[in-house]
Amino acid sequence: MTKLNLAPFVLGAALLSAAVLGVQSAQAHHAFAAEFDAKSPVLLRGKVNKVEWINPHAWVHLMAAGPDGQVREWMVEGGTPNTLLRSGIDRNTLKPGTEIIVRGYQSKDKACAPVCKANGRDVAFPDGRKVFMGSSGTGAPKDGADPNDK
Amino acid sequence: MIRQFLVWLQDQLGKGAGDTAQSWSQDLLGSLNFWGLIEGTHLLSLMLFAGTILFVDLRLLGFTLQRTPVSVVSRRILPLTLAGFGLMVVTGLALFYAKPLFYYHNIWFRAKLLFLALALINIVIFHLRAHRNQDAWDKMPRPPTATRVLAALSLLSWLLVITMGRFMAYSWFDCGKPIPHWVNVVQECQASEHGAVDAADIAAIGGKAP
Repeated sequence: MTKLNLAPFVLGAALLSAAVLGVQSAQAHHAFAAEFDAKSPVLLRGKVNKVEWINPHAWVHLMAAGPDGQVREWMVEGGTPNTLLRSGIDRNTLKPGTEIIVRGYQSKDKACAPVCKANGRDVAFPDGRKVFMGSSGTGAPKDGADPNDK
Repeated sequence: MIRQFLVWLQDQLGKGAGDTAQSWSQDLLGSLNFWGLIEGTHLLSLMLFAGTILFVDLRLLGFTLQRTPVSVVSRRILPLTLAGFGLMVVTGLALFYAKPLFYYHNIWFRAKLLFLALALINIVIFHLRAHRNQDAWDKMPRPPTATRVLAALSLLSWLLVITMGRFMAYSWFDCGKPIPHWVNVVQECQASEHGAVDAADIAAIGGKAP
């Protein structure tokens, strides 16, 4: 009886899973599509409540009117504190009370519980400066606005 | 009791004076480079650990390296596995320290700890049962059934540990969101700072949160 040699299969499976995992980790910590809806863009205008400068995603909290016109608290996901710093956002530019306009995509559940949630694409400041929030590369729709979109 | 300790760990330990003072845990979570370095190391050492234990388990199952005695495979590979495990535990504890309350109330983390415990119990059983008479089956291409079952359980439990760890990145079941009642119970959301919201209650009042 010839023995079935599984080594090539095991090696093949290992390489395949490495390729799949590699692609995933190159995208992001979690897939955009798992939590956010690319077909639900939101435009939020309001004052910053607070910012959570935490890994792996910073969160900007603001009071703003959602798609239904109702003013609620929104938390908008950005990149890591490091990503934000490199794109020009830090504790001093996003102080509580700063008026901002955020473009992003609402969470798939649209639950607004405990607060509304969105993935941030970019944020515009009162002086007209517009900065990307590190969402590019996470699977957010590419509209050509971000020169770093790959 | 555990929760109170974690609150202290997260919010108090290492906190200086002043309005903007942060605890060490909060400093770590908000760090520009250190947290990412730890997370990256955790994942890389996980690959070293899981990749090498895969070969030991497949040898025990009789699938690969059949002409090499198990003792030789273990001697060559297990030091790498142990190194990976050590790094994984150290970096894992550091990641937990950065966000203890989040993980405490996280269903994936709780499941991960459960499977981790099973995997460790499995190692103890292996050493108590299969390892004792290893001389008898060391050179066998296909070790006895009892040994193979333990190897399969080892593979399965580590695979589950890794899968649960992966799902911790997703916020579908975070406390405070409308989630199934049993998830609220398993995560002890009631005690968390976000509270427990049952999906059924939200659906009953028309799907919109208050």
